Amino acid sequence: MNSYENVIETVDLTRVFLTYRKAEGIWNSIRGFWHREYVRKVALQPTTLRIEGGEIIGLVGANGAGKTTLLKLLSGLIHPSGGDARVLGYRPWERKPDFLRRISILLGQKNQLWWDIPPADSYDLLARIYDLDEKEARNRVTELAELLQCRDLLHVQLRRLSLGERMKMEIIGSLLHRPSVLFLDEPTIGLDIVAQTNIREFLAEYVKRERPTIILTSHYMDDISKLSDRLLLISKGAIVYDGTVPDFMNSVEHVQRLTAVLERPPESPRELASGLVLSPGTEMFTAELPATQIAPTLQKLMEISPLKDLKIEEADFEDVIRKFLEKESRLRATGGPIAT
Amino acid sequence: METTIWSAIVTSTGQESFGGFPRESYIAYALWGAFFGRIGSNWMYEYRMIEEIETGSVNGVLVRPISFFEYYLSQFMGYKLLTTFISFLVPIFITLTVANGPTIHARLPLACAVLILYLFLVHTISFSVATLSFFLTRVHGFTVAKNIGLTILTGELFPLDLVPEPYRTWLLWLPFSNSVFVPVGYLTGRLGIEDVARGVLSIFMGLAFFGMIAAVAWRAGCRRYSGTGA
Repeated sequence: MNSYENVIETVDLTRVFLTYRKAEGIWNSIRGFWHREYVRKVALQPTTLRIEGGEIIGLVGANGAGKTTLLKLLSGLIHPSGGDARVLGYRPWERKPDFLRRISILLGQKNQLWWDIPPADSYDLLARIYDLDEKEARNRVTELAELLQCRDLLHVQLRRLSLGERMKMEIIGSLLHRPSVLFLDEPTIGLDIVAQTNIREFLAEYVKRERPTIILTSHYMDDISKLSDRLLLISKGAIVYDGTVPDFMNSVEHVQRLTAVLERPPESPRELASGLVLSPGTEMFTAELPATQIAPTLQKLMEISPLKDLKIEEADFEDVIRKFLEKESRLRATGGPIAT
Repeated sequence: METTIWSAIVTSTGQESFGGFPRESYIAYALWGAFFGRIGSNWMYEYRMIEEIETGSVNGVLVRPISFFEYYLSQFMGYKLLTTFISFLVPIFITLTVANGPTIHARLPLACAVLILYLFLVHTISFSVATLSFFLTRVHGFTVAKNIGLTILTGELFPLDLVPEPYRTWLLWLPFSNSVFVPVGYLTGRLGIEDVARGVLSIFMGLAFFGMIAAVAWRAGCRRYSGTGA
């Protein structure tokens, strides 16, 4: 179905937003007519990427890191400040109809279907917008609705549906025209755990069947770890990691979580390792430590008191990502060496 | 209210006519002008376009193979054609029964055709105003100011043939008179077919002018757009 090499290519793609600081008060509002303090924010630093057909890219970063800016550039919503990009051979911001017929963007926090009419009517309208055969479009809606288990809701006004149900309808709307490239911006945000799981399972199944190229952003690491072939970590507008999820987990320092319940809490502070102190009266001790420090720390604890309970767990993907991004953010702020 | 005012104006002159037209002509003009004026104005869809750009809802249109201009034009025209048909039943009924004045009903189709052509210009101007949302935080004031100005330029407040020269000629060459004065004037016998032809020509000139402004403003706005709300 999708046999392109480098479906998405960017060369030094950059986006800078120019805003201005407005101090509070009416005098400052009036003053703003002739004097403004402009602020230049580099939302995306020069970024060079190559994404092949059929890849599923998980794009992770803190709020304001540049994830959505990258998606907006690649989908043609905004123009770049510098550099170039090609998606399916087109410059996205030229917004040629042939390009727009082959991509789709799903914005997790925004409705793109029509609020006052049932989704079925919206899909009829979308079928005309995308020049789809009417019968084929209806079959496609049925197929997707059955996969998402929401066929009974197709004729209910969109505004009357719950958030999870609306998201399912938005997904159908975004996949109706069988896009080759799909941009998913936080598709499961705000949904309950059941809805999140349903949508994740649907996307996993859909990807197996249709093999579109997908760029997925999410703050839920389950979305990323279960769906993505490739992980892009972005911090302060720059890609700080580009590789697979297992390679990422192997490349960062191996951390484990140690939880121990002491039979006899100490009466005075006791040092367990450099910078790690057990406070007096502590009955349950928990710490995340490099794997190499687990055994010496455990030994020190057992010298202080017998243990009632002990648990050693692998740090989860979310914690590892969080720490990595925090570290990258600190390094960028201080001008220190950046991971490559 | 307008029929009362015009009756009072004509009566106050102590003559049967004013500006060359009888009292009944002004009453018919006021009646039809109210409906043509309402049909020929655009508040709702202009506000919707403005709001879509302000809030970022326009993203849903930008990522689809459909033009924002055409998308709202189809909604606007669909709404106006339906409301025109229903609302014109009122003055048609009144002028056929109660106020059987100088209305020439056979001219109604052409008068409506001029108004419908004018609506394309209305939408183009509204689209141009809406593109200001790419550059300014709030643009609703422009809509209000524009529509108030148009109330005078269209002839909704008073027939434009009462305006002294040379202003009368300038106003008649502007396309805005085709919202009320030209179609209603033609319908009530104040104007002839040559005035309608001039009106249609001015609409096409207006479409060319405002169309150019709309295209340039849209392109510039899209370059500046930051994808609000996404």
